[in-house]
Amino acid sequence: MSWQGELNRYLASAYKNWVITKRNAFTLFELFFWPLVSLLSIGLLTRFLMMDESMVSFLIVGSIALTILQVAQLDVSYVLLFDMWSKSIKNTFIAPVHSWHLIFGSLLFGIMRGSVVFAILASVSFYLFGFKFQTGGLIPPLIFLIGVFAMAAIIGIVVCISILTFGQKADVAAWSLSGLILLFSGIYYPVDVLPAFLQSVSRAIPLTYFLEYYRSVFIPGPHHLIVGLSLAALYLLLGLILFDRAINRARRTGILLRLSE
Amino acid sequence: MSVQAKGVCKRYKSLFGPTKIALKRISLDVEQGEIFGLLGPNGSGKTTLISILSTLIYPEEGSLSILGLNARRDRGEIRKIINICTAKPNFPWSLTIRENLVHYGMLYGLYGSALTRMVDDQIDAFELGEYRDVKFENLSTGLKQRLSLAKAMLNHPRLLFLDEPTTGLDPHMSAKTRKLIKRIHEEEQISVILSTHYMPEAEELCDRIAFLRGGEVAAMDTPQNLKNHLGLGQRVRIRYRGQVDLEAIRRFEGVIGVNGSHWIIGGQMDERAGEGLERRVDILIERKEDCLDGILKSFQDAKILDIDVDEPDLEDVFIELAR
Repeated sequence: MSWQGELNRYLASAYKNWVITKRNAFTLFELFFWPLVSLLSIGLLTRFLMMDESMVSFLIVGSIALTILQVAQLDVSYVLLFDMWSKSIKNTFIAPVHSWHLIFGSLLFGIMRGSVVFAILASVSFYLFGFKFQTGGLIPPLIFLIGVFAMAAIIGIVVCISILTFGQKADVAAWSLSGLILLFSGIYYPVDVLPAFLQSVSRAIPLTYFLEYYRSVFIPGPHHLIVGLSLAALYLLLGLILFDRAINRARRTGILLRLSE
Repeated sequence: MSVQAKGVCKRYKSLFGPTKIALKRISLDVEQGEIFGLLGPNGSGKTTLISILSTLIYPEEGSLSILGLNARRDRGEIRKIINICTAKPNFPWSLTIRENLVHYGMLYGLYGSALTRMVDDQIDAFELGEYRDVKFENLSTGLKQRLSLAKAMLNHPRLLFLDEPTTGLDPHMSAKTRKLIKRIHEEEQISVILSTHYMPEAEELCDRIAFLRGGEVAAMDTPQNLKNHLGLGQRVRIRYRGQVDLEAIRRFEGVIGVNGSHWIIGGQMDERAGEGLERRVDILIERKEDCLDGILKSFQDAKILDIDVDEPDLEDVFIELAR
Protein backbone atom coordinates (compact mmCIF):
# COMPACT_ATOMS: atom_id res chain seq x y z
CA MET A 1 0.00 0.00 0.00
CA SER A 2 1.21 3.52 -0.82
CA TRP A 3 2.14 5.94 1.94
CA GLN A 4 -0.92 8.07 1.15
CA GLY A 5 -3.18 5.06 1.66
CA GLU A 6 -1.42 4.17 4.91
CA LEU A 7 -1.69 7.81 6.06
CA ASN A 8 -5.43 7.79 5.34
CA ARG A 9 -5.91 4.76 7.58
CA TYR A 10 -4.61 6.96 10.41
CA LEU A 11 -6.62 9.98 9.31
CA ALA A 12 -9.86 7.94 9.14
CA SER A 13 -10.32 8.13 12.92
CA ALA A 14 -9.50 11.85 12.99
CA TYR A 15 -12.05 12.40 10.19
CA LYS A 16 -14.78 10.50 12.04
CA ASN A 17 -14.11 12.36 15.31
CA TRP A 18 -14.07 15.68 13.47
CA VAL A 19 -17.44 15.10 11.74
CA ILE A 20 -19.12 13.88 14.93
CA THR A 21 -17.65 16.73 16.97
CA LYS A 22 -18.67 19.49 14.55
CA ARG A 23 -22.28 18.22 14.59
CA ASN A 24 -22.47 18.15 18.38
CA ALA A 25 -23.32 21.52 19.93
CA PHE A 26 -22.26 20.21 23.34
CA THR A 27 -18.71 20.07 22.03
CA LEU A 28 -18.64 23.76 22.89
CA PHE A 29 -18.88 22.75 26.52
CA GLU A 30 -15.77 20.59 26.14
CA LEU A 31 -13.88 23.29 24.25
CA PHE A 32 -14.95 26.48 26.00
CA PHE A 33 -17.30 26.11 28.94
CA TRP A 34 -15.55 23.62 31.23
CA PRO A 35 -12.00 24.79 30.40
CA LEU A 36 -12.93 28.41 31.13
CA VAL A 37 -14.89 27.53 34.27
CA SER A 38 -11.90 25.56 35.52
CA LEU A 39 -9.38 28.26 34.67
CA LEU A 40 -11.46 31.11 36.09
CA SER A 41 -12.12 29.19 39.31
CA ILE A 42 -8.43 28.60 39.88
CA GLY A 43 -7.45 32.10 38.74
CA LEU A 44 -9.95 33.75 41.06
CA LEU A 45 -8.84 31.51 43.91
CA THR A 46 -5.28 32.79 43.47
CA ARG A 47 -6.65 36.36 43.67
CA PHE A 48 -8.58 35.56 46.83
CA LEU A 49 -5.53 33.99 48.45
CA MET A 50 -3.40 36.93 47.21
CA MET A 51 -0.79 34.60 45.71
CA ASP A 52 2.38 35.91 44.12
CA GLU A 53 3.10 35.58 40.40
CA SER A 54 5.03 32.33 40.70
CA MET A 55 2.26 30.59 42.65
CA VAL A 56 -0.34 31.88 40.19
CA SER A 57 1.72 30.33 37.37
CA PHE A 58 2.04 27.09 39.33
CA LEU A 59 -1.72 26.67 39.68
CA ILE A 60 -2.61 27.89 36.20
CA VAL A 61 -0.12 25.48 34.60
CA GLY A 62 -1.85 22.69 36.53
CA SER A 63 -5.30 23.85 35.49
CA ILE A 64 -4.31 24.11 31.82
CA ALA A 65 -2.61 20.69 31.93
CA LEU A 66 -5.66 18.98 33.42
CA THR A 67 -8.07 20.61 30.98
CA ILE A 68 -6.05 19.77 27.86
CA LEU A 69 -5.46 16.26 29.15
CA GLN A 70 -9.20 15.72 29.59
CA VAL A 71 -10.06 17.06 26.14
CA ALA A 72 -7.36 15.13 24.26
CA GLN A 73 -7.79 11.83 26.14
CA LEU A 74 -11.53 11.95 25.40
CA ASP A 75 -10.75 12.22 21.70
CA VAL A 76 -8.56 9.12 21.88
CA SER A 77 -11.21 7.28 23.89
CA TYR A 78 -13.92 8.37 21.44
CA VAL A 79 -12.28 6.27 18.73
CA LEU A 80 -13.92 3.21 20.30
CA LEU A 81 -16.64 4.93 22.32
CA PHE A 82 -18.37 6.32 19.20
CA ASP A 83 -18.22 2.86 17.60
CA MET A 84 -19.48 1.20 20.76
CA TRP A 85 -22.37 3.64 21.24
CA SER A 86 -23.44 3.31 17.61
CA LYS A 87 -22.82 -0.48 17.70
CA SER A 88 -20.66 -0.23 14.60
CA ILE A 89 -17.51 -1.69 16.12
CA LYS A 90 -17.74 -4.71 13.77
CA ASN A 91 -17.29 -2.46 10.75
CA THR A 92 -14.07 -1.00 12.16
CA PHE A 93 -12.48 -4.31 13.08
CA ILE A 94 -13.40 -6.09 9.86
CA ALA A 95 -11.19 -3.50 8.11
CA PRO A 96 -7.41 -3.98 7.91
CA VAL A 97 -6.58 -1.58 10.75
CA HIS A 98 -4.21 -1.89 13.67
CA SER A 99 -4.24 -0.36 17.13
CA TRP A 100 -1.76 2.35 16.10
CA HIS A 101 -3.99 3.54 13.21
CA LEU A 102 -6.88 4.08 15.63
CA ILE A 103 -4.86 5.63 18.45
CA PHE A 104 -2.64 7.99 16.49
CA GLY A 105 -5.46 9.03 14.15
CA SER A 106 -7.73 10.00 17.02
CA LEU A 107 -4.81 11.51 18.93
CA LEU A 108 -4.17 13.80 15.98
CA PHE A 109 -7.65 15.24 16.36
CA GLY A 110 -7.13 15.40 20.14
CA ILE A 111 -3.96 17.41 19.56
CA MET A 112 -5.89 19.82 17.34
CA ARG A 113 -8.66 20.29 19.88
CA GLY A 114 -6.19 20.42 22.76
CA SER A 115 -4.17 23.09 20.96
CA VAL A 116 -7.28 25.22 20.45
CA VAL A 117 -8.09 24.89 24.17
CA PHE A 118 -4.49 25.77 25.07
CA ALA A 119 -4.61 28.88 22.89
CA ILE A 120 -7.87 29.99 24.53
CA LEU A 121 -6.69 29.31 28.07
CA ALA A 122 -3.27 30.87 27.52
CA SER A 123 -4.87 34.05 26.15
CA VAL A 124 -7.50 34.32 28.88
CA SER A 125 -5.00 33.62 31.67
CA PHE A 126 -2.65 36.27 30.27
CA TYR A 127 -5.31 38.98 30.11
CA LEU A 128 -7.00 38.15 33.42
CA PHE A 129 -4.21 36.79 35.60
CA GLY A 130 -0.98 37.94 33.93
CA PHE A 131 0.21 34.38 33.18
CA LYS A 132 2.77 34.41 30.36
CA PHE A 133 2.94 30.93 28.85
CA GLN A 134 5.92 31.80 26.64
CA THR A 135 8.18 32.77 29.55
CA GLY A 136 11.45 30.97 28.77
CA GLY A 137 10.65 30.77 25.06
CA LEU A 138 8.40 28.53 23.01
CA ILE A 139 10.28 25.28 23.61
CA PRO A 140 9.12 24.74 27.23
CA PRO A 141 5.36 25.04 26.46
CA LEU A 142 5.88 22.88 23.37
CA ILE A 143 7.56 20.10 25.36
CA PHE A 144 4.93 20.49 28.07
CA LEU A 145 2.17 20.05 25.47
CA ILE A 146 3.92 17.01 23.99
CA GLY A 147 3.94 15.48 27.48
CA VAL A 148 0.27 16.26 28.09
CA PHE A 149 -0.74 14.79 24.69
CA ALA A 150 1.37 11.68 25.28
CA MET A 151 -0.36 11.26 28.64
CA ALA A 152 -3.73 11.75 26.91
CA ALA A 153 -2.87 8.97 24.46
CA ILE A 154 -1.87 6.66 27.32
CA ILE A 155 -5.14 7.28 29.20
CA GLY A 156 -7.13 6.90 25.97
CA ILE A 157 -5.46 3.55 25.32
CA VAL A 158 -6.33 2.38 28.84
CA VAL A 159 -9.97 3.36 28.23
CA CYS A 160 -10.01 1.48 24.90
CA ILE A 161 -8.48 -1.60 26.54
CA SER A 162 -11.11 -1.39 29.31
CA ILE A 163 -13.93 -1.25 26.76
CA LEU A 164 -12.63 -4.28 24.89
CA THR A 165 -12.08 -6.19 28.12
CA PHE A 166 -15.11 -5.28 30.22
CA GLY A 167 -17.61 -4.15 27.59
CA GLN A 168 -20.01 -1.22 27.58
CA LYS A 169 -19.91 -0.48 31.31
CA ALA A 170 -16.25 0.47 31.01
CA ASP A 171 -17.06 3.76 29.27
CA VAL A 172 -17.14 5.40 32.69
CA ALA A 173 -13.33 5.01 32.66
CA ALA A 174 -13.19 7.74 30.00
CA TRP A 175 -14.26 10.31 32.55
CA SER A 176 -12.69 8.82 35.66
CA LEU A 177 -9.06 8.12 34.86
CA SER A 178 -8.05 11.76 34.52
CA GLY A 179 -9.33 12.16 38.11
CA LEU A 180 -6.54 9.85 39.26
CA ILE A 181 -4.05 12.01 37.42
CA LEU A 182 -5.46 15.04 39.26
CA LEU A 183 -4.72 13.29 42.53
CA PHE A 184 -1.30 11.81 41.79
CA SER A 185 0.44 14.07 39.26
CA GLY A 186 0.60 17.21 41.33
CA ILE A 187 -1.82 19.24 39.27
CA TYR A 188 -2.53 21.71 42.08
CA TYR A 189 0.27 20.87 44.52
CA PRO A 190 3.84 19.56 44.40
CA VAL A 191 3.93 15.78 44.70
CA ASP A 192 6.25 16.17 47.73
CA VAL A 193 3.19 16.86 49.87
CA LEU A 194 1.79 13.39 49.14
CA PRO A 195 2.47 10.52 51.58
CA ALA A 196 5.64 8.64 50.66
CA PHE A 197 3.92 5.58 49.19
CA LEU A 198 1.74 7.80 46.96
CA GLN A 199 4.80 9.74 45.82
CA SER A 200 6.11 6.54 44.22
CA VAL A 201 2.86 6.34 42.25
CA SER A 202 3.35 9.96 41.18
CA ARG A 203 6.88 9.19 40.04
CA ALA A 204 5.52 6.48 37.78
CA ILE A 205 3.27 8.96 35.94
CA PRO A 206 4.98 10.85 33.07
CA LEU A 207 2.84 13.95 33.48
CA THR A 208 4.39 14.59 36.90
CA TYR A 209 7.75 15.22 35.19
CA PHE A 210 6.36 17.40 32.41
CA LEU A 211 4.56 19.56 34.99
CA GLU A 212 7.75 19.90 37.02
CA TYR A 213 9.68 20.81 33.87
CA TYR A 214 7.28 23.52 32.72
CA ARG A 215 6.86 24.93 36.23
CA SER A 216 10.63 25.15 36.59
CA VAL A 217 10.46 27.95 34.03
CA PHE A 218 8.34 30.00 36.46
CA ILE A 219 9.71 28.71 39.75
CA PRO A 220 13.31 27.61 39.20
CA GLY A 221 13.93 24.14 40.56
CA PRO A 222 15.09 20.65 39.57
CA HIS A 223 13.24 18.55 37.01
CA HIS A 224 13.73 15.15 35.38
CA LEU A 225 12.35 15.69 31.91
CA ILE A 226 14.30 12.75 30.47
CA VAL A 227 12.57 10.39 32.90
CA GLY A 228 9.19 11.80 31.87
CA LEU A 229 9.97 11.43 28.17
CA SER A 230 11.28 7.89 28.66
CA LEU A 231 8.26 6.84 30.73
CA ALA A 232 5.85 8.36 28.19
CA ALA A 233 7.55 6.52 25.30
CA LEU A 234 7.63 3.27 27.28
CA TYR A 235 3.95 3.49 28.29
CA LEU A 236 2.88 4.38 24.75
CA LEU A 237 4.70 1.38 23.33
CA LEU A 238 3.41 -0.89 26.09
CA GLY A 239 -0.09 0.55 25.67
CA LEU A 240 -0.14 -0.18 21.94
CA ILE A 241 1.05 -3.75 22.53
CA LEU A 242 -1.58 -4.28 25.22
CA PHE A 243 -4.27 -2.67 23.05
CA ASP A 244 -3.41 -5.09 20.26
CA ARG A 245 -3.63 -7.95 22.75
CA ALA A 246 -6.98 -6.64 24.00
CA ILE A 247 -8.26 -6.59 20.40
CA ASN A 248 -7.10 -10.18 19.90
CA ARG A 249 -8.65 -11.22 23.20
CA ALA A 250 -11.95 -9.52 22.23
CA ARG A 251 -11.85 -11.49 18.99
CA ARG A 252 -11.26 -14.73 20.91
CA THR A 253 -13.93 -14.13 23.57
CA GLY A 254 -16.44 -12.78 21.06
CA ILE A 255 -16.84 -9.49 22.95
CA LEU A 256 -16.44 -7.71 19.60
CA LEU A 257 -19.73 -9.30 18.54
CA ARG A 258 -21.48 -8.42 21.79
CA LEU A 259 -20.37 -4.79 21.47
CA SER A 260 -22.06 -4.69 18.06
CA GLU A 261 -25.43 -6.06 19.23
CA MET B 1 -11.31 -22.25 -3.35
CA SER B 2 -12.68 -19.26 -1.44
CA VAL B 3 -13.06 -20.92 1.92
CA GLN B 4 -11.70 -24.16 3.34
CA ALA B 5 -12.72 -24.77 6.94
CA LYS B 6 -11.83 -27.94 8.80
CA GLY B 7 -13.02 -28.81 12.30
CA VAL B 8 -13.79 -25.23 13.34
CA CYS B 9 -14.94 -25.00 16.97
CA LYS B 10 -16.08 -22.00 18.96
CA ARG B 11 -17.02 -21.77 22.62
CA TYR B 12 -18.13 -18.65 24.46
CA LYS B 13 -16.73 -18.79 27.96
CA SER B 14 -18.50 -17.01 30.75
CA LEU B 15 -16.84 -16.00 34.00
CA PHE B 16 -19.70 -17.21 36.17
CA GLY B 17 -22.18 -18.96 33.85
CA PRO B 18 -21.76 -22.12 31.80
CA THR B 19 -19.60 -22.23 28.68
CA LYS B 20 -21.72 -22.05 25.52
CA ILE B 21 -20.65 -24.17 22.58
CA ALA B 22 -21.48 -22.14 19.49
CA LEU B 23 -19.83 -24.26 16.79
CA LYS B 24 -18.88 -27.94 16.89
CA ARG B 25 -16.24 -29.06 14.41
CA ILE B 26 -17.62 -27.31 11.34
CA SER B 27 -16.02 -28.30 8.05
CA LEU B 28 -17.00 -26.79 4.73
CA ASP B 29 -15.59 -25.64 1.40
CA VAL B 30 -16.83 -22.72 -0.64
CA GLU B 31 -15.91 -22.64 -4.32
CA GLN B 32 -14.61 -19.56 -6.10
CA GLY B 33 -17.49 -17.47 -7.48
CA GLU B 34 -20.13 -19.41 -5.56
CA ILE B 35 -23.03 -17.98 -3.54
CA PHE B 36 -23.03 -20.18 -0.48
CA GLY B 37 -25.98 -20.07 1.91
CA LEU B 38 -25.98 -20.63 5.65
CA LEU B 39 -29.40 -21.55 6.97
CA GLY B 40 -30.57 -22.55 10.38
CA PRO B 41 -32.82 -21.61 13.27
CA ASN B 42 -31.93 -18.85 15.74
CA GLY B 43 -28.87 -19.77 17.78
CA SER B 44 -27.69 -22.39 15.30
CA GLY B 45 -24.34 -20.62 14.88
CA LYS B 46 -24.76 -18.78 11.56
CA THR B 47 -23.53 -15.39 12.77
CA THR B 48 -20.69 -16.97 14.75
CA LEU B 49 -19.57 -18.91 11.68
CA ILE B 50 -19.72 -15.83 9.43
CA SER B 51 -17.80 -13.84 12.06
CA ILE B 52 -15.09 -16.51 12.18
CA LEU B 53 -14.83 -16.84 8.39
CA SER B 54 -14.51 -13.06 8.10
CA THR B 55 -11.74 -13.08 10.78
CA LEU B 56 -13.79 -10.83 13.04
CA ILE B 57 -13.55 -13.38 15.83
CA TYR B 58 -11.20 -16.32 16.24
CA PRO B 59 -12.03 -20.02 16.61
CA GLU B 60 -10.58 -22.18 19.39
CA GLU B 61 -9.83 -25.12 17.13
CA GLY B 62 -9.70 -26.00 13.49
CA SER B 63 -7.92 -24.83 10.40
CA LEU B 64 -9.20 -22.13 8.11
CA SER B 65 -8.06 -20.93 4.73
CA ILE B 66 -9.64 -17.85 3.15
CA LEU B 67 -8.90 -17.14 -0.52
CA GLY B 68 -5.82 -19.32 -0.26
CA LEU B 69 -4.46 -17.45 2.77
CA ASN B 70 -3.98 -18.91 6.21
CA ALA B 71 -6.61 -17.30 8.45
CA ARG B 72 -4.38 -17.50 11.50
CA ARG B 73 -1.20 -16.12 9.94
CA ASP B 74 -2.44 -13.78 7.20
CA ARG B 75 -5.39 -12.06 8.89
CA GLY B 76 -4.27 -8.59 7.84
CA GLU B 77 -4.01 -9.59 4.17
CA ILE B 78 -7.37 -11.38 4.29
CA ARG B 79 -9.13 -8.30 5.70
CA LYS B 80 -7.98 -6.28 2.70
CA ILE B 81 -9.85 -8.55 0.27
CA ILE B 82 -13.04 -9.44 2.14
CA ASN B 83 -15.92 -7.38 3.50
CA ILE B 84 -19.16 -7.84 5.36
CA CYS B 85 -22.70 -6.53 5.40
CA THR B 86 -24.28 -7.28 8.78
CA ALA B 87 -27.82 -8.16 9.81
CA LYS B 88 -28.23 -4.98 11.81
CA PRO B 89 -26.53 -2.28 9.77
CA ASN B 90 -25.03 0.07 12.32
CA PHE B 91 -22.84 3.05 11.54
CA PRO B 92 -21.84 6.20 13.42
CA TRP B 93 -25.18 7.99 13.81
CA SER B 94 -24.29 11.56 12.98
CA LEU B 95 -22.27 10.81 9.85
CA THR B 96 -24.13 11.11 6.55
CA ILE B 97 -24.14 8.32 3.98
CA ARG B 98 -21.29 9.99 2.12
CA GLU B 99 -19.26 10.68 5.25
CA ASN B 100 -19.66 7.09 6.42
CA LEU B 101 -18.44 5.78 3.08
CA VAL B 102 -15.50 8.22 3.10
CA HIS B 103 -14.58 7.15 6.64
CA TYR B 104 -14.63 3.42 5.86
CA GLY B 105 -12.93 4.01 2.50
CA MET B 106 -10.10 5.70 4.40
CA LEU B 107 -9.85 2.71 6.76
CA TYR B 108 -9.33 0.55 3.67
CA GLY B 109 -6.49 2.83 2.57
CA LEU B 110 -8.28 4.66 -0.24
CA TYR B 111 -7.20 8.25 -0.80
CA GLY B 112 -7.49 11.24 -3.11
CA SER B 113 -9.51 10.98 -6.29
CA ALA B 114 -9.69 7.17 -6.01
CA LEU B 115 -11.52 7.54 -2.69
CA THR B 116 -13.91 10.16 -4.08
CA ARG B 117 -14.59 8.08 -7.18
CA MET B 118 -15.17 4.88 -5.22
CA VAL B 119 -17.56 6.59 -2.78
CA ASP B 120 -19.51 8.23 -5.62
CA ASP B 121 -19.61 4.94 -7.56
CA GLN B 122 -21.09 3.10 -4.58
CA ILE B 123 -23.61 5.88 -3.96
CA ASP B 124 -24.72 5.56 -7.59
CA ALA B 125 -24.63 1.76 -7.64
CA PHE B 126 -26.88 1.47 -4.59
CA GLU B 127 -29.14 4.37 -5.60
CA LEU B 128 -28.25 6.44 -2.56
CA GLY B 129 -27.65 9.73 -4.38
CA GLU B 130 -30.81 11.39 -3.09
CA TYR B 131 -29.82 10.59 0.50
CA ARG B 132 -26.05 11.09 0.33
CA ASP B 133 -26.17 14.00 2.79
CA VAL B 134 -28.70 12.45 5.16
CA LYS B 135 -27.36 11.42 8.55
CA PHE B 136 -27.39 7.69 9.32
CA GLU B 137 -29.77 8.16 12.26
CA ASN B 138 -32.41 9.59 9.89
CA LEU B 139 -32.29 6.78 7.32
CA SER B 140 -34.98 4.12 6.88
CA THR B 141 -34.08 0.46 7.50
CA GLY B 142 -33.88 -0.18 3.76
CA LEU B 143 -31.49 2.71 3.18
CA LYS B 144 -29.33 1.62 6.11
CA GLN B 145 -29.10 -1.83 4.54
CA ARG B 146 -28.13 -0.33 1.19
CA LEU B 147 -25.47 1.77 2.90
CA SER B 148 -24.16 -1.40 4.54
CA LEU B 149 -23.96 -3.10 1.14
CA ALA B 150 -22.26 -0.03 -0.36
CA LYS B 151 -19.72 -0.05 2.49
CA ALA B 152 -19.10 -3.73 1.88
CA MET B 153 -18.12 -3.03 -1.73
CA LEU B 154 -15.67 -0.18 -1.01
CA ASN B 155 -12.59 -2.39 -1.23
CA HIS B 156 -13.82 -4.50 -4.17
CA PRO B 157 -13.83 -7.64 -2.01
CA ARG B 158 -13.15 -11.02 -3.54
CA LEU B 159 -15.23 -12.64 -0.82
CA LEU B 160 -18.34 -10.95 0.53
CA PHE B 161 -20.16 -11.95 3.71
CA LEU B 162 -23.84 -11.09 3.94
CA ASP B 163 -25.29 -11.80 7.36
CA GLU B 164 -29.09 -11.81 7.03
CA PRO B 165 -29.05 -8.86 4.62
CA THR B 166 -32.83 -8.61 4.25
CA THR B 167 -33.82 -8.92 7.91
CA GLY B 168 -36.33 -6.24 8.84
CA LEU B 169 -36.95 -5.15 5.25
CA ASP B 170 -40.40 -5.06 3.68
CA PRO B 171 -41.02 -7.50 0.78
CA HIS B 172 -40.37 -4.82 -1.84
CA MET B 173 -37.05 -3.80 -0.31
CA SER B 174 -36.10 -7.45 0.23
CA ALA B 175 -36.65 -8.17 -3.46
CA LYS B 176 -34.65 -5.07 -4.39
CA THR B 177 -31.80 -6.10 -2.08
CA ARG B 178 -31.75 -9.61 -3.55
CA LYS B 179 -31.53 -8.08 -7.01
CA LEU B 180 -28.59 -5.96 -5.85
CA ILE B 181 -26.84 -9.00 -4.40
CA LYS B 182 -27.30 -10.87 -7.69
CA ARG B 183 -25.96 -7.91 -9.61
CA ILE B 184 -22.92 -7.53 -7.37
CA HIS B 185 -22.20 -11.23 -7.69
CA GLU B 186 -22.45 -11.20 -11.47
CA GLU B 187 -20.65 -7.92 -12.11
CA GLU B 188 -17.84 -8.37 -9.62
CA GLN B 189 -17.54 -12.14 -10.04
CA ILE B 190 -16.98 -12.59 -6.33
CA SER B 191 -17.76 -15.36 -3.88
CA VAL B 192 -20.60 -14.65 -1.48
CA ILE B 193 -21.43 -16.31 1.83
CA LEU B 194 -24.96 -15.46 2.83
CA SER B 195 -26.84 -16.32 5.98
CA THR B 196 -30.58 -15.98 5.96
CA HIS B 197 -33.82 -17.03 7.64
CA TYR B 198 -35.80 -16.63 4.45
CA MET B 199 -36.03 -19.81 2.44
CA PRO B 200 -37.14 -18.21 -0.83
CA GLU B 201 -34.09 -15.95 -0.60
CA ALA B 202 -31.74 -18.91 -0.20
CA GLU B 203 -33.48 -20.80 -2.97
CA GLU B 204 -33.29 -17.80 -5.31
CA LEU B 205 -29.68 -16.82 -4.61
CA CYS B 206 -27.62 -19.75 -3.39
CA ASP B 207 -25.70 -22.29 -5.43
CA ARG B 208 -25.20 -24.44 -2.34
CA ILE B 209 -26.52 -24.39 1.18
CA ALA B 210 -25.32 -25.58 4.57
CA PHE B 211 -27.99 -26.12 7.20
CA LEU B 212 -26.71 -25.43 10.68
CA ARG B 213 -28.36 -26.92 13.73
CA GLY B 214 -26.94 -26.69 17.24
CA GLY B 215 -23.58 -25.46 15.93
CA GLU B 216 -23.19 -28.35 13.48
CA VAL B 217 -23.71 -28.77 9.76
CA ALA B 218 -26.87 -30.86 9.53
CA ALA B 219 -26.82 -30.98 5.72
CA MET B 220 -24.94 -29.35 2.87
CA ASP B 221 -25.79 -29.49 -0.83
CA THR B 222 -27.53 -27.65 -3.65
CA PRO B 223 -31.13 -26.60 -2.84
CA GLN B 224 -32.49 -29.14 -5.32
CA ASN B 225 -30.36 -32.00 -4.04
CA LEU B 226 -31.33 -31.23 -0.46
CA LYS B 227 -34.98 -31.53 -1.40
CA ASN B 228 -34.36 -34.75 -3.31
CA HIS B 229 -32.05 -36.41 -0.80
CA LEU B 230 -34.23 -35.73 2.16
CA GLY B 231 -37.10 -37.57 0.49
CA LEU B 232 -39.59 -35.05 1.69
CA GLY B 233 -42.39 -36.44 -0.43
CA GLN B 234 -45.01 -33.99 -1.57
CA ARG B 235 -46.61 -30.86 -0.30
CA VAL B 236 -50.40 -30.72 -0.44
CA ARG B 237 -51.87 -27.23 -0.19
CA ILE B 238 -55.60 -27.22 0.52
CA ARG B 239 -57.86 -24.16 0.55
CA TYR B 240 -61.08 -24.81 2.36
CA ARG B 241 -63.93 -23.31 4.30
CA GLY B 242 -65.21 -24.75 7.59
CA GLN B 243 -63.78 -26.78 10.48
CA VAL B 244 -61.07 -29.41 10.16
CA ASP B 245 -59.22 -31.23 12.95
CA LEU B 246 -55.60 -30.52 11.97
CA GLU B 247 -54.23 -32.38 14.98
CA ALA B 248 -55.92 -35.55 13.72
CA ILE B 249 -54.33 -35.04 10.31
CA ARG B 250 -50.97 -34.55 11.97
CA ARG B 251 -51.32 -38.04 13.50
CA PHE B 252 -52.06 -39.78 10.18
CA GLU B 253 -49.55 -42.33 8.98
CA GLY B 254 -47.54 -40.85 6.15
CA VAL B 255 -47.99 -37.23 7.26
CA ILE B 256 -44.61 -35.57 7.82
CA GLY B 257 -45.85 -32.16 8.88
CA VAL B 258 -48.79 -29.79 8.93
CA ASN B 259 -48.06 -26.13 8.49
CA GLY B 260 -50.52 -23.65 9.93
CA SER B 261 -54.00 -22.70 9.01
CA HIS B 262 -54.65 -19.10 8.19
CA TRP B 263 -57.78 -17.18 7.46
CA ILE B 264 -57.68 -15.66 4.02
CA ILE B 265 -59.41 -12.31 3.73
CA GLY B 266 -59.48 -10.53 0.40
CA GLY B 267 -56.74 -12.76 -0.96
CA GLN B 268 -54.38 -11.89 1.93
CA MET B 269 -53.41 -14.31 4.67
CA ASP B 270 -54.82 -13.18 7.96
CA GLU B 271 -54.69 -14.79 11.35
CA ARG B 272 -57.96 -13.34 12.58
CA ALA B 273 -60.61 -15.93 13.31
CA GLY B 274 -63.94 -15.83 11.48
CA GLU B 275 -66.52 -18.32 10.45
CA GLY B 276 -67.12 -18.82 6.77
CA LEU B 277 -63.77 -17.44 5.68
CA GLU B 278 -61.22 -19.32 3.62
CA ARG B 279 -58.40 -21.20 5.29
CA ARG B 280 -55.24 -22.68 3.90
CA VAL B 281 -53.17 -25.58 5.14
CA ASP B 282 -49.90 -27.07 3.86
CA ILE B 283 -49.48 -30.76 4.57
CA LEU B 284 -46.20 -32.50 3.87
CA ILE B 285 -46.83 -36.17 3.07
CA GLU B 286 -44.87 -39.23 2.10
CA ARG B 287 -45.36 -40.47 -1.45
CA LYS B 288 -48.02 -43.03 -0.59
CA GLU B 289 -51.13 -43.39 -2.67
CA ASP B 290 -53.57 -43.91 0.18
CA CYS B 291 -52.15 -41.11 2.32
CA LEU B 292 -53.89 -38.30 0.47
CA ASP B 293 -57.20 -40.17 0.47
CA GLY B 294 -57.10 -40.47 4.22
CA ILE B 295 -56.38 -36.78 4.63
CA LEU B 296 -59.19 -35.73 2.38
CA LYS B 297 -61.64 -37.74 4.46
CA SER B 298 -60.82 -35.42 7.36
CA PHE B 299 -62.27 -32.55 5.34
CA GLN B 300 -65.75 -34.06 5.16
CA ASP B 301 -67.19 -31.33 7.43
CA ALA B 302 -65.51 -28.61 5.42
CA LYS B 303 -65.83 -27.39 1.87
CA ILE B 304 -62.64 -27.89 -0.12
CA LEU B 305 -62.12 -24.99 -2.52
CA ASP B 306 -58.84 -26.01 -4.07
CA ILE B 307 -56.16 -28.70 -3.80
CA ASP B 308 -52.65 -28.22 -5.06
CA VAL B 309 -50.05 -31.00 -4.93
CA ASP B 310 -46.51 -29.73 -5.34
CA GLU B 311 -42.85 -30.53 -4.71
CA PRO B 312 -41.64 -29.33 -1.30
CA ASP B 313 -39.72 -26.07 -1.15
CA LEU B 314 -36.71 -25.14 0.93
CA GLU B 315 -38.95 -24.09 3.78
CA ASP B 316 -40.13 -27.68 4.08
CA VAL B 317 -36.51 -28.80 4.07
CA PHE B 318 -35.78 -26.26 6.80
CA ILE B 319 -38.68 -27.50 8.94
CA GLU B 320 -37.58 -31.08 8.47
CA LEU B 321 -33.95 -30.36 9.33
CA ALA B 322 -34.74 -28.08 12.24
CA ARG B 323 -36.90 -30.75 13.91
